[in-house]
Amino acid sequence: MTIIMTFGVAVGQSQSEGLTSSPYSLYGLGVINQTSVGKSNGLGYTGIGVKTEMEINNLNPSNFALIPQYSFFYNVGLSGAYNNYSNSGDNEVRTTLNFSNIAIAFRVTEGVGAGITMIPYSDVGYTLVGLQSNIEGSNEIFESNVSGIGGLSDLRFNLGFRILPELRIGLSSSLLFGSIEENETFQISSSTFESTETTNYRGVRLGLGLQYDLLKNITMGTTIQLPSSLNGNLKRTILKNLDGTEITVENGTVDDITSFNMPLELGLGISGTFYKKLTLSADYKKNYWNATGQTENIGKYSDQNIYAFGLEYLEDSKGFKYIQRMRYRIGFNYDDGYLDINNTKIDGFNLTAGIGLPISRSTNSLLNLSYSFGSKGQIKNVLVRENYHLLSLNMSLEDMWFRKRKIN
Amino acid sequence: MKKGRIKIGWLLIPLIAAIVITIFLSCSKDLNVSDFVAGDAFTDSKIRVVLIDTFTVATSTMKFDSILTSQSSRMLLGKYTDPVFGTVRCSTFMELLPTSYTIGTEAEYDSIVFYLGLDKYYYNDTLQTSTLHIRQLQKRLKPKNGDYFYNTSTVDYANSDIGTLSFKPRPLIGDSLGIKVSDSLGIDMFGRLQDKMITNLDEFREYFKGVTILPDELDQGAIVGFSLASDKSYMRLYYSTPEEEERVQGHIDFSINTVSSPIPFFNRITSEEPNEYLKTLTDKEINLMSSVSDNRSFIQSGIGIATRIQFPFIKNIYDIPGQGTLLEAVLKIRPAGQSYNDHLILRDSLSLYIVDVNNELTEQLSQIAVLNRANQEFNDIYYQVDLGSYIEKLQLAERNTGEALILLPDNYNSTIDRFVLNGNNNSKFSTILELTYAIYDADE
Repeated sequence: MTIIMTFGVAVGQSQSEGLTSSPYSLYGLGVINQTSVGKSNGLGYTGIGVKTEMEINNLNPSNFALIPQYSFFYNVGLSGAYNNYSNSGDNEVRTTLNFSNIAIAFRVTEGVGAGITMIPYSDVGYTLVGLQSNIEGSNEIFESNVSGIGGLSDLRFNLGFRILPELRIGLSSSLLFGSIEENETFQISSSTFESTETTNYRGVRLGLGLQYDLLKNITMGTTIQLPSSLNGNLKRTILKNLDGTEITVENGTVDDITSFNMPLELGLGISGTFYKKLTLSADYKKNYWNATGQTENIGKYSDQNIYAFGLEYLEDSKGFKYIQRMRYRIGFNYDDGYLDINNTKIDGFNLTAGIGLPISRSTNSLLNLSYSFGSKGQIKNVLVRENYHLLSLNMSLEDMWFRKRKIN
Repeated sequence: MKKGRIKIGWLLIPLIAAIVITIFLSCSKDLNVSDFVAGDAFTDSKIRVVLIDTFTVATSTMKFDSILTSQSSRMLLGKYTDPVFGTVRCSTFMELLPTSYTIGTEAEYDSIVFYLGLDKYYYNDTLQTSTLHIRQLQKRLKPKNGDYFYNTSTVDYANSDIGTLSFKPRPLIGDSLGIKVSDSLGIDMFGRLQDKMITNLDEFREYFKGVTILPDELDQGAIVGFSLASDKSYMRLYYSTPEEEERVQGHIDFSINTVSSPIPFFNRITSEEPNEYLKTLTDKEINLMSSVSDNRSFIQSGIGIATRIQFPFIKNIYDIPGQGTLLEAVLKIRPAGQSYNDHLILRDSLSLYIVDVNNELTEQLSQIAVLNRANQEFNDIYYQVDLGSYIEKLQLAERNTGEALILLPDNYNSTIDRFVLNGNNNSKFSTILELTYAIYDADE
């Protein structure tokens, strides 16, 4: 558990330093992270209907019921992104590296498994230069620079129960926390103005999951994330320079009226294994943003549909040759977006590919390497298109606890 | 058991590596620097900036009882009649300081001349002929009370001139005038020096108390500034000494004494029969509101007439909805049309001072109101000054102290510049305060 705390600190740090993501992270809580734990990164982020006994599946809490006796899973991941933003006249490239997850899972008793995962929930990192606004009451304009940094983390406790041999249910409780700092500066004649607003969000979200094995090789699953509200606590600092004198107008004034409403999220997934080598998985998720009634100054939140497909090939997990034990994955994910700007939704897609490299013969430990190419937004009117390449590396480690004692 | 432990330890290595990498990356903030310009309307500033020019600027005119002119940086001489301020008359009073008390017994008197060096300052029409009269003082220059002379001071002087000159001033060329002084005075002074009847300053002062230089009563020209420097303005007594081959010229100079204490020098500056509004300014605590003086306020340096400005409703900034802060406050003061011309010129700048509720001058602001002539072709010229920090001080002040800003030229004890300014009456050319205000939180 101390390890988890250490990592909590580490993740918290990487979040607050806010490695850059996207201009779209200006809205809401930032860009919502899709990267998850383990193999789903190579499978188009599918996993709701994926049944696995060999690693952590964070997308459906009911799967935690399948952790084998004596097994203890660790997972740690890193991801690096190469982003290319463009609009009708400009183009910029950024490279970022992020800590992507830390997770553990263990069996509690026969048919009951638990896990704790820590993943970034959202990421904020934007810099907008030269925003022009009118000085009301005049024909003049002022140009401001706006930047944001930060993000939220999701510390999730999962519990899975096996009810029947073919039916599992799960419960999850997410603690979402983190801070977003927004900064705006501008100059009018000789006066300068700088506003820094740091919003600390904190809230709990409950989820339910279910997996049912339709046939021996076909599993379907469903998940629900209940709507909840994150309490925001805003701290504001206003500085200005008037007639050459630096003046602190407000320093750390606390304003706790901002809260953010998380939508109801429903997920449906199915997976099937064919010819003992091919595993197909498909997920559909719907996030009911309309009901949260939230708007941004540029647009409104709108119901989001996510479609995902994944395919994994594994020759033979017990094969003698190393190459037989390697896993090959591809996937596709389409997200029609949750921000509606002038009736244009900011949609995006991801193409993913990955391999899983076994680390040892005696355990299910894997080194998963996945690559994703994605695109979001469009070069139309005021919007920005963002193309990105995401490389993620994670280690899914299984440790056999207590089993050795029996052998001894 | 032992084996198991080793294995767990081994597994921790990549985790520790991940922590190290993460922390390392956390510190590389530079990754976030960007100059990517997103589309214009991609987002709006969350901060509203508004320009408000409807705050009341209460202008009035006040008059100081007197201006300290023994510290003037020049002599002011001349007379003209101003359509607004009346008959303006400047004369100067001074004690003279000999540079030497020794004249050889062989020397013979030649002449005595008063030289006045122009110092480039002038006001009104320099094409008219001016006449100056030099008269001897009948009393020593000692202030009646205190250590200073004021523009209202005077000292008795003789009825007859010891010298006079008519001239057309060419102040920008900066030449000097030479006024022939009476030979009877010259011969007498020469004799007393040569005979060693005068050997020090006290003896000289007892004999020659000083002079006043007065404009002619019929003058209708310029007020001209003359230098006080000993190499520009002085009285010179010429003599010559016969030697074997030729006569050798010699002289003694008498410079203007500005070094004794109290300073035995001052300019007398008066303005008689001004307009009806200015006649009411008989005490410095009287504030003549522009609203009762034809929406005008006045400035006349040297005399001590100043425009007084207050912002009585400035605390209404708090009535602007939302939370905000002042970013800029520009005061634009517009001279009244037709009040100035090529002779009655507008100076390029005005200084700002603060007076208390009793019109007692307390401090000078570092800001200066500068004349903006950019729209002169549309008759829209104005003095402009940034008052951001002053307005904010007023806004944050717990109570209204009744203090006011006053406008005067910087060297108001050495000039006779005059200004007629428009008040704040909603006309196109009125004096206004433009506030630029940022609202960073629309909710209260």
